[in-house]
Parts: sequence; structure tokens; C-alpha cells
Amino acid sequence: MSQKFERRGIHVDQSELLCKKGCGYYGNTSWQGLCSKCWREEYQRARQKQIQEDWALAEKLQREEEAAYASSQGAQSQPQPSLAPFSKFEEKKTNEKTRKVTTVKKFFSPSSRTASKKAPSEKVEKVPGARERHGETLLRDLRGIFTPPWEMVSPTEENHEGKTPSPSVSRQSSTETDRVSRDFVEFLKNLQKPGREIHKQCRAFIESMANKKDLGADELSECVQDFYQNMSDRLLTHFKGSTDRVERVMDQVEKYIMTRLYKNVFCPETTDDEKKDLATQNRIRALHWVTIQMLCVPVDEEIPEVSDSVVKAITDIIEMDSKRVPRDKLACITRCSKHIFNAIRVTKNEPASADDFLPALIYIVLKANPPRLQSNIQYITRFCNPSRLMSGEDGYYFTNLCCAVAFIEKLDAQSLNLSPEDFERYMSGQMSPCRPEPEAWPSAGPGISPALREARRSLDLLASLEARQERVLEGARTLESDLIDWQESVEREVREILGRFPLEVRPPASAIDSDNVENDRLPPPLQPQVFAG
Amino acid sequence: MAAGGAAGGGSGRTYSFKVVLLGEGCVGKTSLVLRYCENKFNDKHITTLQASFLTKKLNIGGKRVNLAIWDTAGQERFHALGPIYYRDSNGAILVYDITDEDSFQKVKNWVKELRKMLGNEISLCIVGNKTDLEKERTVSVQEAEGYAESVGAKHYHTSAKLNKGIEELFLDLCKRMMETAQADERAKGNGASQSGASRRGVQIIDDEPQAATAAGGGCCSG
Repeated sequence: MSQKFERRGIHVDQSELLCKKGCGYYGNTSWQGLCSKCWREEYQRARQKQIQEDWALAEKLQREEEAAYASSQGAQSQPQPSLAPFSKFEEKKTNEKTRKVTTVKKFFSPSSRTASKKAPSEKVEKVPGARERHGETLLRDLRGIFTPPWEMVSPTEENHEGKTPSPSVSRQSSTETDRVSRDFVEFLKNLQKPGREIHKQCRAFIESMANKKDLGADELSECVQDFYQNMSDRLLTHFKGSTDRVERVMDQVEKYIMTRLYKNVFCPETTDDEKKDLATQNRIRALHWVTIQMLCVPVDEEIPEVSDSVVKAITDIIEMDSKRVPRDKLACITRCSKHIFNAIRVTKNEPASADDFLPALIYIVLKANPPRLQSNIQYITRFCNPSRLMSGEDGYYFTNLCCAVAFIEKLDAQSLNLSPEDFERYMSGQMSPCRPEPEAWPSAGPGISPALREARRSLDLLASLEARQERVLEGARTLESDLIDWQESVEREVREILGRFPLEVRPPASAIDSDNVENDRLPPPLQPQVFAG
Repeated sequence: MAAGGAAGGGSGRTYSFKVVLLGEGCVGKTSLVLRYCENKFNDKHITTLQASFLTKKLNIGGKRVNLAIWDTAGQERFHALGPIYYRDSNGAILVYDITDEDSFQKVKNWVKELRKMLGNEISLCIVGNKTDLEKERTVSVQEAEGYAESVGAKHYHTSAKLNKGIEELFLDLCKRMMETAQADERAKGNGASQSGASRRGVQIIDDEPQAATAAGGGCCSG
């Protein structure tokens, strides 16, 4: 670049600045000498080619696998067109999305609970636009939460009812799946030959799973776990016992296959996960009155850093539902736990033990009421790579989350140190735990949510500001009257002085000679004398 | 049983063990494990964010051992959650306070429960902590050691404050867990199938302890 600049100072050939494609526009070095339009085209083509290559590779591998399968299974196997499984996948994907929305709807309309069970198959959701990303899906789901059910079904959605999305459109919608596939292929390229083998295995496994969707959740889990086991055993032999490398590959394998299988195996129809989700959700909602003191949580939300950590922990545990890969879900739990530890550490000034941590986690779960909690726990249990879940740090936090959920389910008066009568009254909503007197606002206390406390603090602040402004206004007013007084007093003084010393204007003095009475006594002025010379 | 061992083949094999810490609230579980992993006691300069999950790498007789120590909430109201914690663990350290008879009774309850749920696969250590308070002792040495022997557990005396007996406790436990893992391996032929049988993760159990027993038993035997 710098060279270029130097040269420009002396001489630059016009042709060097133009787009290399010769379209007549100016090019740019950062776009390899092309203009923006040509660069975009070029880039798109290269990307498309890359994607196509990957798909071609995948399909080739799949065909090989099918051929092998057909020859081994003989007559009983049914040859399938190679593309069929893909479109099937996409269909299911859309179903899954629809179901997500209807789940949300269900929370709001208990009466339609039975009716909506059939909804997924009847209604196909609006085909998402080409640029739709995962985040937007999430946003829409969120919007669903805040929109009353009757507004949920937008006219556009109904227009598309019954239409099956064309595979090409819906494929573009699954940006995440594509990206994960690409990353996976990229990752395996580094491994060369074994990489291709791994890819083949994974594809074959995903295909086989597509045919097993009628199995129960436990059988599906068994299949995936067997696959992990076989794969890691083979990798272990290949890498000659280097567990680190096996772990790295297994993480990628898990990411790849679970991103693909997610829509089929997360909260499957064959289980009552969804019912449990609703039950837990309602249970947590009914326990809204539980305070930090009842749980003996060593967290002081008065401290700004602590309340900040608490909010972050709540965000992380809620975010878990948006992840597809079990390991990513675990990572959310771990992040949440770290924030809790931080909150405890700041409050108590010593490292948190399990005695502190578990109650705090229970409190966070109660506050957050994470969506589809049971489904997520079941999904992680069934499909996570066991090496993580068994003994690792992530596994520990996950176990604690399971404990927290179990505790919440069985929570009774005794576990909160309440009398059974009080517990019943709180649960039925007849009474809520005593709140502090309104006079004690700033110091707040139990039973007050941090947001409420924050609002009260702001109100106090506003009140004090108002008082201050009053004082300032008062001051301004006195200043004004002072000024007026001062002006008057000055005027008065001036008048007084003027009265005391009236201004006497004397007649002006006459000409010098006018009062010169003795003029004639003066000698006559000298006269010039003329000398004749 | 368990994840014990499994990982690694040939000479450079690595054992991974999960150890749970059980005991009443104030018996010093956290101090014990912080002393072991960080060599600190009631220190204001402890850098770890938490003391509930700690790991330690050891080398015993040329074998590498990764120890994962799981602290558990000791409050009475969390007692029912125990099975979720100690599922699939290779060892359990049951801590009581030598000045507190109640905490020793709690240990007895835990032992009963663990033996019922996990059988003899789990290596148990009963630990009398706070020996620096010997003068205030209420749990007699004979009683504690006699009890430990009767249930097939080892008994240790420790003081996290004075850093006494802690290294020995963990080293001994590791050796015993290694023996169990090796015996298990021999019995099953190879390590792979063993870890395959016990690989399923954590599950929320039903409130009936019997149901959990069945699940745990199935896991161990199958």
C-alpha cells in the first residue's frame, strides 16, 4: 500500500486504477483490483463453488455408503434417491420451528393445549427469507413471548399455510446448519485421509438416524452414544492414545451430528418432555414468592457488582435453550455458574463451596425460569458426549443444575424453614411474605426484586433532585429581589446625595479683558518703530 | 465401576476418577479440599473463584491420575439430592467433625446409602476432621475406626488447619481406586466395554430411593 502511495505522487497510470474486469469503474486493492460490483460477483461465485464442492463430496460419500449398505443388506434394503433424505430433513426442520412457536402460544392459551397438539402437521410456518439467521428466529420466538396469542398468526403466515417450502429456499434458511457443515469439512481437511473417513461415518450415521425417527428417545440416545463410543474408540487407536486429540475431534463430531439431528431429537414427540417443561414452568411461576433469605443464599444484591453478576447468570441460563449442540448448552450452564461464583465471592470474600453454590443456583433458576428446562436437561443427558458429562467441570455444573431442578420440584415448607400453613398460604397466593415498611425504601429488604428496588432508588434520587431544584429556584428568586433592592437603594442614595449637594451651574467667565477695570492705568502698548536705514 | 480409568491405552494410560465429598455443613469439607489442592487454609489470598469443583493431577507409580473432586451441599434439606451427585463416582470422602457427634451420625447415614446404591465398587473414606481440637473431641477414636472397618471403609484423621493427614488420605484413596479399576478391567476383559456400560450421564431420579437403586444397580451390573 505504502509503495503505491509513493508512486501515486509521481505518476499513476489511469488503467491501474480501473477495475480489472474492465467494466469501466474504479477498482480497489482490497478487492483484488476489482470494483465493488465485480468483486461481489466474484466472491459469491467462489463461495457457491466451495459449497457445491462440499455438497458434492458429501453426496458422493453418501452414495458410496448406500451402495455398501445395499450390497450388505441385499434384498431387504430399499434404495433411496440420494437427495430424498435432505428434503425430508428440511421439512422436519420447518415443523420444528412451527412447533416452537406453538409451544410459546400454548403457554398463553391453556385451553388450546389439546388442540394445538395437532398444529405442527397442519400448518407450515412462513418460509423464512433468504437472509434469515438463527438470531432472527430467536427474536421471533421472543416476540412470540411478548405478543398475545391472537396476534401471533400474522396474515402472511396464513397465506403460506399448507404450502411446502421448496428445498432450495428452506436450505438457505438453515444458514447455521450449512455453516456448521462447512466448518466440519474444513476441520476434517486438516486430518486428510482419516478426516474423510470420519465424514463418511458421520453422514452415514445421520442418514441412518433419519430412518429411525419413530424410535423412542432412549433408543435414539443409545444410538448416538454407541456412535460416540465407536468413533472415539477408533480415534483412540488412530491417534495412538492421545486423548487430547480424540477429544478435539469428538467435539467437532458432536457439533456436526447434533446440529443436524437437533430438530428430530430435541424434545421428541415420543416423550413427555414437553409436558414436564410446562409443569416445571408452572411450578417455578408458583414459587415466585421465594426469597433469597428463605434459601439462605449468600448473595447480597445491594452490591452493584453482585446484582450485575446475578443478571448475567440469569441471561446465560436462559440462553441455553437457544443452542443446538449439547456442549454449547453445557457451556451456557458453566458461564452461568461462573457468574454465580463471582457473586458469592464478592459477597463473602471467600471461594464459594457447594453449600453456597447450590442454593444460589436454585435462586437463579427460580428467577430465570429458563424456557424448556426439562427438555434441555434431557437432551444434554441423552446426547452429550459422555466424557464431558461424567467428570469434567461442565459435568459438575450440569449435575448441580439437575439438583436444583429436583429440589424445586420437591420443594416444601420444611426446605424453606417455613411452617406448612405459611407455605400453603404463599403457594395459593392468599398471602405474600411480609415486605418491609414503605418508610424503609432505600434500605429495601427481603421480597423485593432488584428491579423494584432500583426503581425506588431512582424515585428517591428524583425526589432529592426536585428538592435541590426548589432550593436553586428559591435562591434565584432571592437573588432577583436582592438585585432589585440594591438597584433601588442605589437610586435612593444617589437622589439623596443629589438633594444634599444640588448642582449649581455658574455663568461662564467673560473674556479676559472684560473685567479689566484698571486697563487705562497700564502703560500703552509698545508701538513698532520704523528706522530708516 | 465408572469412568475410572478407560481413557488412554498402552503404557501412558491415564486414570480419571470422580470423588465426592459428603458431610454436614460445618465439618470443613471445603477447607479440606482447598488445603489439598491449593495448600491454603482460611486464606484471604485464595485466588480460586470457587472451591466446589477442584481437580488435581497425580502420578502414582508411573500412572497418571486425574482427580476430580466434587463438593456437595451439606445442608440437611439437600440430603435427598445426594444420589444425583454421587452417581458414577469412584470414591467418596465422608467427613465428620471430631467435636460433633451429630456429624458422625450423618456419616453413618451416608455410608448406608452409598453401599445400598453403589455397592462395593466405591472406595469409601471416613475422615475425622479438626484434630487440632483434640481436647474437645466427642467422637471416640475406637468407635470411629471400629465402625469404618465394619463397613469396609478406611478411617483417617485430618486437620485442615495444621495440614495433617490430608496428603495421605488422598494418596491412599487414589491407590485404592486404581486397584478397583484394574480389578474391574481384568474382570471385564477390556476397558472399552467397561466405560461403555457406565457412560450414561446424570439423570434426575425419582423420589423413591428404590427406583434409583434399581437404576444404579442396572448400571453397575450391566
